[in-house]
Amino acid sequence: MGRAGGWAAFLGHDAGVRRLNIPVTSLRLDGVDGTQWSSGADEARAQLTAALTAVGRGDRAALRRVYDMTAAKLFGICLRICGERASAEDVLQTVYIKVWERAGQFDAARASPITWLATIARNGAIDWRRSVAGRTVRDTLPEQAAFAVADDSPLADQSLVAAEEGERLHHCLDELEERSRASIRAAFFDGSTYAELAERENVPLGTMKSWIRRGLLRLKDCLGDG
Amino acid sequence: MDDHLTPAEERDALAAELALGLLEGQARADALRLSLSDPAFAALVLAWEAKLAPLHGEWADAQPGAGVWSGIERQLADAPADKVTAIETRLRRWRAGALLSGAVAAALAFVLITQPGPTPTPAAPQLAVARIESDAAGPLVLARYNHSNGLMQLRIHGFEPGTLAPELWVIPEGGPPVSLGQIGHAGEAEMTMPPPHRLLMTEGATLAITMEPVSKTPHPAPSSVAVASGKIITI
Repeated sequence: MGRAGGWAAFLGHDAGVRRLNIPVTSLRLDGVDGTQWSSGADEARAQLTAALTAVGRGDRAALRRVYDMTAAKLFGICLRICGERASAEDVLQTVYIKVWERAGQFDAARASPITWLATIARNGAIDWRRSVAGRTVRDTLPEQAAFAVADDSPLADQSLVAAEEGERLHHCLDELEERSRASIRAAFFDGSTYAELAERENVPLGTMKSWIRRGLLRLKDCLGDG
Repeated sequence: MDDHLTPAEERDALAAELALGLLEGQARADALRLSLSDPAFAALVLAWEAKLAPLHGEWADAQPGAGVWSGIERQLADAPADKVTAIETRLRRWRAGALLSGAVAAALAFVLITQPGPTPTPAAPQLAVARIESDAAGPLVLARYNHSNGLMQLRIHGFEPGTLAPELWVIPEGGPPVSLGQIGHAGEAEMTMPPPHRLLMTEGATLAITMEPVSKTPHPAPSSVAVASGKIITI
């Protein structure tokens, strides 16, 4: 058995002896039937999960299904953050190309499909806003153009986003000081920078940073680490 | 207004700022670089994205123009044909080589000696799975093997493209590693396992990955320690 010891060394650390204790669902490579959502779970979410999983296997027709199910929502995100249609449509294209490339990394056990997609869209739109092209385009926009786009009417369908998690976050946001909450929400929905928010609120940059940082850390305490 | 934050709070606040997109210029570049080089920091950023995720329920929908989808199709058409097929083709070539590999014979001999005689279990497991990993931030390969048709499917994440290629090994308990060939850096791959290798896919055997010089045939033995490994579980 001296030889066996050698192979154990080859494996290094404890990997060779570790037992897996992860749920079997997270090992599924092809949750196409969406069975893990069967107990009272949302049908739309199951369909989107199935389509996204198929995209992860290189199924282009499935990408079209994902697009049909989510383009309006993701375009809403891009439009709000980019502030004008042409750029938002360019960004939306790159978002779905990223979805195509990364769908293999989507893990239904870890994230809801719409959250995963919305995060890619929001990050893509913010990347654009922070780019030279984005800054140039936005300089030519009329003041407040971004806020003219769908401001205080959250009519987006909630059906794809888990309601309970939302209640908890909103409860914790409500616990914050008004100025912290408003600034955090503006950062999220408008994709604003510290400097833009400070200018908008007419306060020094350091003050805005302090409002937001304090708010974020309180928010984290309220949400707990779980 | 300068709040005193502990270094841990500072770091967490920075992660939140990056997740929210508040930073710009050099500060943003620095934070992005940190998230690429420091997996623990990247995990904080992801955690913040998850905390704020319920806000995604509030976006107002808007209809994009019809040109967006055709633009996406055009870009996909320009993309390299099919990464999965490419990996598959490579795996088939390696498989042909693997059949001749002496290590297979050695490992099989070991299996046959230590498990004398066929042990026909009444309900043979149909499925074997393994999560091949080192730590949360390192490369990850999910493997699924179907005993009924010999099909091995892989989902591969997180290998840096470079001069070395990830090579997949199956290691019977106490036996020597047997190469199943090299796999891609990312994406999915599948192969039908040659019959000699199928016998190695048992509960308790280990799948492991080492980084090896690119080769068209499986290496007889690994040249370095495993970068990721995991035990096979049969279902």
